[in-house]
Amino acid sequence: MKRTDVIVASLLAVALAVVSAEAQNVVKIGQVEAQTGANAIYGWMSSQGTALAVDEINKAGGFSVGGKTYTLQLIALDTRGEPKEASVQLKRLIEVDGAKYIFGPFLSNVFLAIRPYAAEFNGKILMWGGATRIHDYVGTPGHEFLMRTWNWDAGPNGFGELMVDDLAKHGVKKIALLYQNDQGGKVMEDIYVAMFKRKGIEARLDYFEPGTKDFSTVLAKIAAWKPDYLFPGYADSYIYDIVRQATETGQLTKFFLVRGSLGPGLKNKDALDEYVVYVPKYFEEAEKKDPKVQKFVKAYRDFYKRDFPYDQAPLCSSSCYDHVYMLVEAMKKAGTVDDPAAVKRALMSMTYEGLWRLRFDDKGEEVFNFDVVRLKKGGAIEVNHINPK
Amino acid sequence: MLSLVAGQVLNGAIVGSMYGIIALGITLTFGITGIVNFALGEFMMIGAYATFALAERGGLPYPVAVVPAALIAAVAGYVCNKAFFRFTRGNLVNGLLVSIGLISVFESAVLWYWSATPIEMHYVLPGALRLGDVSLPKMKLLVFAVIVVVIALTYVALAGTWLGRASFAYAQNAEAATLMGVHTERLVTAVMLYSTGLAGLGGALYASLYSLEPSLGGVYVLKGMEAAILGGIGSLMGSLWGGVILGVIEAVGSIFLPTAFRDAYGLAVLVAILLFRPAGLFGDES
Amino acid sequence: MRSDFVLTIFIYTFLSGILTVTFDLIFGFTGQLSMFHPAVFGLSAYVTHLLVLHVRLPFWLATLPAAAAAAALAVVVGSICFKFRLKTFYFAVVTLAFAEMLRLIIVNWNSVTNGTLGLVVSGKPTIWWPGTGIVAIRGPVAWYYLTLAALGATVFICARVLASWMGRAFGAIRLNEDLARTLGINVFRYKLVSFAIGNALASFAGGLYGYYTGYIDPGYLGINQSMEVLAMVLLGGQGTLTGPIVGAFVLTALPHVIDLRAEARAILYGAILIFTILVMPRGVVGTLRAWRVRRAA
Repeated sequence: MKRTDVIVASLLAVALAVVSAEAQNVVKIGQVEAQTGANAIYGWMSSQGTALAVDEINKAGGFSVGGKTYTLQLIALDTRGEPKEASVQLKRLIEVDGAKYIFGPFLSNVFLAIRPYAAEFNGKILMWGGATRIHDYVGTPGHEFLMRTWNWDAGPNGFGELMVDDLAKHGVKKIALLYQNDQGGKVMEDIYVAMFKRKGIEARLDYFEPGTKDFSTVLAKIAAWKPDYLFPGYADSYIYDIVRQATETGQLTKFFLVRGSLGPGLKNKDALDEYVVYVPKYFEEAEKKDPKVQKFVKAYRDFYKRDFPYDQAPLCSSSCYDHVYMLVEAMKKAGTVDDPAAVKRALMSMTYEGLWRLRFDDKGEEVFNFDVVRLKKGGAIEVNHINPK
Repeated sequence: MLSLVAGQVLNGAIVGSMYGIIALGITLTFGITGIVNFALGEFMMIGAYATFALAERGGLPYPVAVVPAALIAAVAGYVCNKAFFRFTRGNLVNGLLVSIGLISVFESAVLWYWSATPIEMHYVLPGALRLGDVSLPKMKLLVFAVIVVVIALTYVALAGTWLGRASFAYAQNAEAATLMGVHTERLVTAVMLYSTGLAGLGGALYASLYSLEPSLGGVYVLKGMEAAILGGIGSLMGSLWGGVILGVIEAVGSIFLPTAFRDAYGLAVLVAILLFRPAGLFGDES
Repeated sequence: MRSDFVLTIFIYTFLSGILTVTFDLIFGFTGQLSMFHPAVFGLSAYVTHLLVLHVRLPFWLATLPAAAAAAALAVVVGSICFKFRLKTFYFAVVTLAFAEMLRLIIVNWNSVTNGTLGLVVSGKPTIWWPGTGIVAIRGPVAWYYLTLAALGATVFICARVLASWMGRAFGAIRLNEDLARTLGINVFRYKLVSFAIGNALASFAGGLYGYYTGYIDPGYLGINQSMEVLAMVLLGGQGTLTGPIVGAFVLTALPHVIDLRAEARAILYGAILIFTILVMPRGVVGTLRAWRVRRAA
């Protein structure tokens, strides 16, 4: 019995040594996003973009830091939007796979569940995602590992601030908010109800249950109040139906959005009067003008062998394609792949020019250039490019 | 206010009719064969996606695409019956577990192929009809008409034909029915085929009104079940009435009370009905 | 380090195990298909945490009012259902309806429950350990033993109940309710007892789960939880005490052991459930027992 033990142990030791030797020149990136499920929109594009970037970098031979060449390994786990799944997955990524760089999450309820565990590794990992809730923690003591990879709605550079200012300037007096009764909706309530009040616009708020398809009743209630604009949030899966049902009966024809895509507006362009939306990038136009965007679109089509998702692509502004490249740049700048704290310092001190111009504010929240698209009845599109300072 | 309520009563009836067609599938399956097909919503989803594929990708005009889509759902139902459901006759829990498994399989398969991005068909019949202050989308009215006709025809067919009478005989006493010469296997198959086909038709109609996602069936099977119970399991017209009543309660409740609790209004009424009239509004008190 | 991941799976298994074993008490042993379980699971998570937060009760003390609330609610819902003699299918639907209504209340009662935003739980339960004094339960190893102990206690209590005259009454009710009634068994009372005990014990899982994951949200009360519990019990074997635990383990570990893409894993999950019904309708444990009996014969 004893001799067999010794042989097995030595074989294991050799195997482990081989495995760890192989692993030495690989930098592991973990990803916790909802690739499937009701809110998958907010994780699916991130997972698409990161996989593409990792593949491109590896195919080009990897990257060198401190004289050694490294390749990237992406371990992308699907949280399905469930906090419980995500916490087991994060444990696995950090403890079993040894990933020091975590992309995601975009969903606030997932973030809240994994935050306490991630915070135990403060200093040993870097986690960056687009969840709105991250805003409350980023830059606070004990959360140096955390960064937020999306624009913030409020504040002087906030896209929400700018858009609401614009409404006020055009004499808008009443706006009806129609949100999903969940994390995203509640956070948006916190931000926007106060914002509208500050700017002197009367706002009313209605919630609907996630899973609702027929909005006739609540839309009829809202229409009776005669608002200037309808402000639906935040997932395309609802916005398509809301816009269709609102315009079908001619009750509500002007829309204001800070989440979601241009898609629903385009589909209903002849029935609506106006559709104003925050779009991290209006890809249809950008593809024609920006060579980097062209390259990205083509690379996506070649890699995935499917149509380019123009309406979802703007969400690649968070923990996605650009961020993989930016991370590699930061590692080069910091001179290390193993010290996430040093890499974070490098990230905070640089501006990256990719599909977007990315930089981080002093708390670790991303600031990037974005588009506000105004679609008029019939399909005329006006794009406003905004470059925050 | 009056026009708001009137409009929502009509709208609720239309939305409810869609619950009704699923309810009909449930009442037929459970009432006649004793099989619990909790996965009926998945067949609705298959019908919806099949319609999308045929009408958008295949280029068929919508009315032409509806029939094959319903047939595809029916064929899927046939396969599931032959392979799994017929073994769960009379066993509620087994039927539930098979249903849970099928839901997982179908939803994931569709998610794999179509991804989570919501898809929407082109608008088949845009525009709304104006009746005074009330405005109702034309397509919704058409959907309502189709569903009512289908359910009424089903009722007539079952009440009037030999097959129909055989079904009810089987439901009451399977052995006796066999002895009387009813091909029970074929009967179960026929009922499963028809109910899943109905669900598929419901899905095809759904596709003309709303955006599609792989999980669309979940809500409808629950509402369908509520409607079937409300109307009375085993009562065919009851399933339509149950659906309509449920839809109206939800709509009217949401006008006066918070929209957030919409589902609760129907549930509360359902519980009340079940306690005081367990056979449902139109069911047999047997 | 690797073992922490394995421990996590076991911890979730034990927590689910408390739910599945208590569910089986009501379903496998008494024959009532209750869809009310996730409701008490979620409710007690909220009640426990809110008491700790606002009334400053220690964790263990807070679980008692939560269990009492669960039991009280179970008695109310159970009385309504059993008084009206609802049969299997309708019982399931009505308990589901009540669970949904409770969920909607919790989702919308923002001032108390924070609605869909959920509650972040930062405290840790503490126990008194001889020699060391008060110790906070921190880290996977401590949680492993705590949840194992909780599961063990639950199983023990259930076993005692089942071995007693109550258990025999449950069995009679499951086999043939009307016959049991004619034999003089107060069917209403025993159904209610089974329902109340099952729900009260399940409530402990809620508090522990909330503290372990650090986050409580209304999803705890969703219908998906009901489906999961039911699947675990059927897979493992209803009508046994070990079956639900086996089922909990298989379905908890499965998504993390199979390294396929997400959709493939879900398809596999569905396939396993269907396969179970066709090939092992009595679940893993049930089939093993039957096989052993046949071997002995």
